[in-house]
Parts: sequence; C-alpha cells; structure tokens
Amino acid sequence: MRQITLSQAVNEALAEEMRRDERVFIIGEDVAEAGTPFKVLSGLVEEFGTARVVDTPIAEPGFMGLAVGAAMTGTRPVVDLMFGDFIYLIMDQLCNQAAKTHYMSGGKLNVPLVLRTNLGATRRSAAQHSQSLHALVAHIPGLKVAMPSSAYEAKGLMKTAIRDDNPVVIFEDKLMYNDKAPVPEEEFLIPFGAANIKREGRDITLIGTSSMVQVCEAAADLLAQEGISAEVIDPRTIVPLDEATLLASARKTSRVIVVDEGHQSYGVTGEIASRINEQAFYHLDAPVLRMGAMDVPVPFSPALEDITVPTPEGVAAQARKLMAGEMIHAAE
Amino acid sequence: MPRNETSGLPPHEVIMPALGMAQDSGVIVAWHKALGEAVAADDVLFEVETDKATMEVPAGAEGFVTHIGAEAGAEVPVGEVIALIGASSDAGQGAEGSGSAPPVTAEPVPEGDNVIMPALGMAQDSGVIVAWHKAPGEQVAAGDVLFEVETDKSTMEVEAGFDGYVAALLAEAGEEAPVGETIAVIVAEKPGTPVQKSRGAVPAAKVEPTEKSPSPAPAKAKSNAPAQTSPPASRTGRILASPKARRLALEQGLDLSRLARAGHPQPYHVADLEVLRALPAASAEAAPAVSRRLTAEIPADGFADFAAWAADSAGLTDPAALLAGMAAASLGKPGAIVAVERLGATRFYVTAAGPLSGVSEAPPDAVPDLRLRDLRLSRISSLALGAEDAPVLTLTPSGGGHVVTLECAGDQLGAADAVALVSEFAGRMEQPLRHLL
Amino acid sequence: MTKKTNTEDYLRMYRQMVRIRTFEDNANKLYLSAKMPGLTHMYSGEEAVAVGICEALKVTDKITSTHRGHGHCVAKGAAFREMFCELLGKEEGYCRGKGGSMHIADQSNGNLGANAIVGGSMGIATGAAFTARLLGKEDVTVCFFGDGATAQGLMYEVMNMAALWHLPVIYACENNGYSEYTRTEEIAAGSICARAEAFGIEAHQVDGQDVLAVNALTRTLVERARKGEGPFFLELMTYRYHGHHVGDINREYYRSKDEEKDWKDNRDPIIRFRSWLVEEGIAGEDEIEAMNEEIKADATAAVEYALAARYPDVSEVDMHVYTDVTHALARSPA
Repeated sequence: MRQITLSQAVNEALAEEMRRDERVFIIGEDVAEAGTPFKVLSGLVEEFGTARVVDTPIAEPGFMGLAVGAAMTGTRPVVDLMFGDFIYLIMDQLCNQAAKTHYMSGGKLNVPLVLRTNLGATRRSAAQHSQSLHALVAHIPGLKVAMPSSAYEAKGLMKTAIRDDNPVVIFEDKLMYNDKAPVPEEEFLIPFGAANIKREGRDITLIGTSSMVQVCEAAADLLAQEGISAEVIDPRTIVPLDEATLLASARKTSRVIVVDEGHQSYGVTGEIASRINEQAFYHLDAPVLRMGAMDVPVPFSPALEDITVPTPEGVAAQARKLMAGEMIHAAE
Repeated sequence: MPRNETSGLPPHEVIMPALGMAQDSGVIVAWHKALGEAVAADDVLFEVETDKATMEVPAGAEGFVTHIGAEAGAEVPVGEVIALIGASSDAGQGAEGSGSAPPVTAEPVPEGDNVIMPALGMAQDSGVIVAWHKAPGEQVAAGDVLFEVETDKSTMEVEAGFDGYVAALLAEAGEEAPVGETIAVIVAEKPGTPVQKSRGAVPAAKVEPTEKSPSPAPAKAKSNAPAQTSPPASRTGRILASPKARRLALEQGLDLSRLARAGHPQPYHVADLEVLRALPAASAEAAPAVSRRLTAEIPADGFADFAAWAADSAGLTDPAALLAGMAAASLGKPGAIVAVERLGATRFYVTAAGPLSGVSEAPPDAVPDLRLRDLRLSRISSLALGAEDAPVLTLTPSGGGHVVTLECAGDQLGAADAVALVSEFAGRMEQPLRHLL
Repeated sequence: MTKKTNTEDYLRMYRQMVRIRTFEDNANKLYLSAKMPGLTHMYSGEEAVAVGICEALKVTDKITSTHRGHGHCVAKGAAFREMFCELLGKEEGYCRGKGGSMHIADQSNGNLGANAIVGGSMGIATGAAFTARLLGKEDVTVCFFGDGATAQGLMYEVMNMAALWHLPVIYACENNGYSEYTRTEEIAAGSICARAEAFGIEAHQVDGQDVLAVNALTRTLVERARKGEGPFFLELMTYRYHGHHVGDINREYYRSKDEEKDWKDNRDPIIRFRSWLVEEGIAGEDEIEAMNEEIKADATAAVEYALAARYPDVSEVDMHVYTDVTHALARSPA
C-alpha cells in the first residue's frame, strides 16, 4: 500500500469531502494561500477558492462563533485552530454554544462542525504552543473528540467527522505531520467509538491515544524482548469511547496502563482507568496505572521538556512493575 | 545505659542482634508490639533487615514493652539496646535521652452501667466477642443487641441491658474476655468522648511504630525477595490480594488465609494461587500454628569453586556430602543426620564434628534432623512450602548467587536457632573456607 | 406605503406588541406566584424594537436573541402555548423543557435561539449570514443584543469579518439604558454607533419606541443587505420597564421611579401606536379593545394549558446530547 504523511492524509480527507459536499468549507487563520504554518492545507484554495477556504483575521472566538452559526444554518464548517493551546480563546463558542445547542433546543438545531487543531510537546515551543488539551473538551457533553494516531486514522476519522452532525474536535499531533503510514487509495471512513487493537498481547494492556500509541508500541517491543506480551489499543476517539474493547482487553490481561499526552491529573488517563476499575475490577491483578504529561506547564528547554512526556522506556518500566506485583506494597 | 528505677528487677534489654557474618548494624523493618503491650518471650517483637535477610526476632523475655528506642526504618548498630521489657506495663521507664517523656496513661474508663462478659456455657470461663452491634457514642436501648459472643458452644447475641449511650467499648471484636470482666460501659447522657479500647492495649498504646513503613527495598531485591519487607498481613488481619486473585480464590474454593499462615509474602496476585494450590493439605499445617520461614541472600556463589577444589585436592567428590556437612555444622549439631534432596534423589548423611571428610552416607530409612533441598539448578526463585517432618533448608538460584530459605515448624527450631542456622549456612555457602577455620 | 394597503400590517404590528406585553405580564405573574422555575427577564417596554424589526423579515430570515428574548420570539412568530410550556419546563415546550426562558429557539420561524451569555450569539448571527452567502440564499440575519453586550470583544471580531465579507447581517443593539444594574454611560465609552462605523459599517440610531420608524428603517436595510450591501448596525433607543430580571424589585439605587414613570406614561410604544391607529382611522377603540381582550384570553388559556401540561419523562434527560445517539448515557454492552 502507498505511504503518505499525516499531513497529506488530512489534506486528502478535506479535499474529498469538499468535492463530495459543497456545504463543507474551511475557515481559520492562514488556511488559504499559506495552507497553515504546517502546510497541511496547501493546494486546497486552488481547487476550492477563497469562498470555501476562508482566511480570517486573527480572531479565534470570532471565527469559531461564526462557524457555529454557519453550522446551525446549513453548512458544514471545518474550523482550523492553528494551535490547540488557543482552545482557551474559543471556549465559550465551543462549549457554551456549539456543544449545547442541540440539547438546549430539544433536538431542533444541529451544529455539524469540525474543529481541527493539534496537540503535542517536544517541539521546543514552550508552554503556550505545546499543550495537549483534549481532556478539556472531552469533559463537555455534546462534543465528540477524535485523536488520530497515524495518517490512516487522520484521514478516516476526518472524513467521518465532517459527515457527523455533531460538533467534533480532532486533535492531530503536530509532531506527526511528516510521519508516513500506509493509507489506501480508495475511499474509506473510520467509525467513531471503535477502538483499534494495534497489537494483541497476553500479559498487559497498554492503552494509548494519538502519538502515545507509538510510544505504547515501542514499549511493547521492549517488553517483548523480556518475554512480556503487551496488548496495545488505540481508542481512536475518546468521545465516544469504545469501552467494550478496552474492558475486554483489561479482563484478558488483568493489567492496564493508560498513556496520554494530556496532563496526568483530572485527565483522559484517569477517566479510562476509572471506567476499567468500575467495570472490570474483579479481573484486575494490579492497579490500573495512568501515565500522562507532567503536571507542569510545558517547559522550553529541551533538557526539561523531554522529561515531561511519557516515553517507551518509562511505560515499559511501569509495565515491569505491574508484572512483578510491586505496585501495592503500601496497600495496608 | 537505661536502668530500671521503679522495680527491683532490672528490665530485659532487647538489643540489635548480630545476625549476619559481617554485620555491624541492622535496620528495624517493623515493630510487632507497641509500647505498653504485653509480650511473651517467644513472641515476635520486631523484624530486622541485615545485609543478608529480613528476620523476625523474638522478644526473649516475658513482660510489657516499656521502652522503644528506635523507630521502624532506623538503622541501629549491633549490640545497642533498642527496647526494654519490664515486669509492669508502666511505659517510659528509663527512656534513654528522653527521660522526661511522660508515661503513656490509660484513657479513663467512664463511670456508668458496666456490661460484663456473660457466663453462657456450662464450663465457660471466657468468651470471644464476635462483633459489636453498637459503636462508641451510639444510643442504645436495654433490649438492643449490643454484641455477639462466641463460647465453646455457640455464638449468641447479647442485649445491652441498660438504656443510654455507649460510653466505652473495652474489648475489640475478635478478642477473648474472661467471664465477669467489664467489656462495655453505658451511661445516661451522650458522652463527649466515647472510649474504644482493646483488651490487649491497656494502657492504650499511643505509639504504633509498626505503621511506619520501611524505606523502599533497593531494586536489586525485587526479583527474589521483594515481599520480605512487606508486612506478613495487614494490621487489621485483612489479607492483601488483587481483586482478580481474590475472585479466583473464591471461585475455586481456595483459602488465601492459608497462604498468609504459611508466611507467603503479601500482597497476593494470581501467580500466588499456584503456591496456594501447592501447599500441603490442611492437616499438615493444622499442627503447630507457628511456622518459621527465613531467607537469606547469598550474592556470590562460593560453593561451586569450593566443591571443585575439594574434589581435586581432598578427594571429596560428593558435593551432597559437602552440603550435608556444612548444614549440620550450621545447625550446631555435629553427628546430625541430614537428608540431601538433589537432582531428584534423596540421600542421607551422618555428619561428624570436624572436617568434611567425616561425613558418611546413612541408610535411607534414617530419620533426618535436617533436610537440605538443593534447587540451585531449578528455575524456582521463591517458595513457601510449609513445615515438614524436619527443618528444611532450600537453595534456590538468584542472579549469580543463591537464596537460602529455612522453613520449619515452631517447635522444631527456636527462633534464635533458626536465625543462627540460616546465618551460619548462608555464610558458609558464600565463603566455604570459613567452614575449615 | 399607504395606510389603506398597509392596514393589515399595522394591525399585525399592534397585535404583536400587545401579545409581547401580555405574554410578559403573564410570565411575570407566573414567576411571582412561584409557578415558574428559574428566572426570567422581561421585555416589556421594548416591544416596538422586536416587532418593528421582525415585521420587516421573512419567516426564512434568521434572528438570534438574548436572555431578554421573549419579545423577539413572539415577534418572529412563536405561539404562546409552546412558549409558556417551555418557560414552565414542560414536554411540549419549544425545546422540550431543556432550554427554558433564556434559551427558547424556534427554528421553524428562523429563531436560532436566545442566548444566556451576554453577546454570545454575535458569532452565530454572523455565521448564519455567512451561510446565506456561501449557499447563495437571500436570507438576512438580525442579531439582537443589548447595550451591555457592546462591551464584549466578540462583537468587534465578528463585525470586522462581516464588514470585510459584506455579510447580510444587521446588528441590532437594544439600548435600554442599563447594563444589568449599571447605567450604560458607566460601561460604554464614546458612541455606540461609532463602534460599528469604525469598521465601515453603516450605523443608524433610531427611536426604539416608535414601531413605524423601526420598521421602515429595517425594511430598507434588509433589502439592501439582501443585495450584498450589508452589514448594518442599529442602535435602538428603548427602555425596559422591569428590572434586569423579575426579582430586581428594589432598583432605585440605579434607576429612579420618576424616570420609569416618564417612559411608561409618555413614551410607551403600544400607547403611542394605538393613538396613531385611532387618529389615522385604521382601527377604532372598540376594535382595539376587542383585540386586547382576545390576546389576554389567548394568553390565559395558554398559561392554563402549560400549567397542566406534562413534564418531560425523566428518560429524556440524556436525549438530544448528540444527534445520532438516542440516549447518551446508555452504555454499550461490555
């Protein structure tokens, strides 16, 4: 199968959907001729024109609010938020307006909107351009949250998001835009709420989101050398969450580590761990572990930044402890 | 040096024992008795970790713990006094360096209607309180069930007998109290500070050093003996086990408490259920309640070279005989019969004082004083098989060295003898030439 | 416009204003008699603004509304019964009881919903106008908001974009003189119209108590907006008779009773328009009284209906969270 970058995969998904449905348009800062700073959208304005690839002023709440109204009245906007960190700027429009409109109207109004943005540290961008804030929006009922882990997922999930009648937030890892993966030429969609078992295993389940799926796979390689068989699961969307697949794996292996690049406290890792604990408790032979980013603002210095995020070595080390039964010594 | 100033008899001094070959200090892992608590001579008083192993040390004298001089986690030089056992429960006497520390006094028992342990059976002189149905401070009517008591015959619910509030519960569930002893006090007015005590803790212990966890074991210890620093059971008696291990045990009719009684380190995971299945049948362990299990780590194997040297230089070509001789010498019992189980066969040896050349093979129907199970070539890293007909020393592989495990019934070897045996044998295995000196 | 041909329009404008006033009188009573949950903000006094503007719109044109939104809702064509049901949290309410007073949306009449975030709907209104342009529709969107909302940054972001892209949106600022419990002069520096003019947006200040003036201006602007001449900005000078919300009774610390009396006695939009209708011979006093009574009876019947109506079944609590999931909290079999 051909290999394309995550960036190309997103571009393809948008182009295909814009060709299929003329109500789809892209709006955001420097999305047209510039094609965004990451060049993900390059070429789209040539095909679809400035009416459908709309450059805005630097006014995130403004264009987000505009997109909500446009979505409510019959279009399907794809909002480009240059950095995930800017999500704080659009919180009212996203969480008070887009997320609640369908509910508050008793089901009469829809907001079929895609907010595509990014996450991920270690790009030496410091604390305001490096955050992974998906947990913030996953907390809000009414939003769906997709987290592609490769070019394949990036394309399939984007196409599904555009066809969804609900507001969907897609977080791409900005460090993965140039990562290649096999992506079929023919059209495909990836349904929401269907986790992908990346690798089957026997002894321990590693659940990873976005680029942490790669971290989990690398950790599984390390563990395999020691005879520990790790199952790696990519939920692909955290809202909706494929609980059934996660629980089945937890029941099978009895040990789970959840790895995510958001801050560890009050985050995705804790949520998934909690659900497993609630629903697979009597199948657990060890406590479910969380591994998120450190609870610190992302530092600039490479020496500091690199230690704030989970690594394959760190995941493998925790997995070994779980295997050795060393996690509940203080249980008394 | 502390002195007993209130009693004619000097208190028993508990010192940090010398347990290893070249040990000059030990770390107190946990105290098993609290200040003021009654203790028997062979009760385990504390656990100590040396460079070799973690061991439980008996009190060595009967009485009350009147002084504890080092907290759990502290490293104490060998020979230093770490506790005093006195004839009375007056704690604080002779406290070194802190003589002004006030004695721990019992919380006063409130005045009121006394509820006593009733005589319910024909020839009953005590009863075990199974459960309290009222909590301290709770309102109670005379006809309310206050507690459940178990006698030799049955379990019965006992009514309070008085209206009012529970001002004091003077025994804990699970404790035995003599018939006629006051075990609860009921008062008319709601008490401000209701009292709850156990019978064993009079006066109420305020220091509970066993709750202090030891510093984390170094990583090197994790594969073979991580749990030696963990408590054998929680203070409440609850067995620590993973949810899955607990569920599987329940489904398969396995009793996790047997693992605990066998001294197998907690917490239990699914893998430990294999050990549980392998335990001898209940009758075997039903005998003496006390079983001993000690382990010592031998970081470097000195024996293989020694055996080669002995074969070449002294013509002693049977390593099993060498092991038997070293084991008997470690036991401090020249002439002992040692059964050596090795490579699937058991051979018996009569040992003698002096050189290892004095060891000779005994008939297979000999009654051994000691069994030595040589599993150095196996993949077993840890075991807990329970007591057998004689004390059993087991050698298992560990990194470049070995782990030696002693298991025996409490009546087969005293605690101190058990400690000495393991220490001696571990030392000889590490440096066999010591045996010749 | 001649009065003969427009008789029907004038009477409908009068009727709509009275309907709003009557609705609010009933809502106020419901609240004060503790029959209505939550809280509500009365539109009484500002009727000429909503009616003057909405009578210039087609059903397919869109509006966005505010926390003080009952007037916009009635003016855009909503029915009493579903509105009262919504106010009381009943199943038959416009939003099945999920929105309440501050979130009534009536999509069938182009009302995209009231918004409880001050200034929160400015983006939505601008986006609705964007849709019209992208899809080549003729729809115009009116964004209602108060003077208080002019302090929100979102307004400037979206007016900028609307002006850049000539979107068919009319920003209708209902200046009732008070930003919640604070006089507008204390929260708004400079001119309100000048804010829009800074973006090159044509802005008009108009007497919001004169329904004909409001209507005439809006008709012109709506037609121009349809032709791509938008956006426009209106500052409608008006007055709210009640406090910020129905419980805001003791308000003399920010507003005198004399001032309220003056507006009610001398500038009431309904009284003024009624006099004009009679003077112009469009309607007689009897006819008007009969209309008032009929509206009162309608409202009374709707209130009674709503009071007796069913609450939504509790199973609805997790419905309408997502369009494609009937019950959001139903767990997939695990």
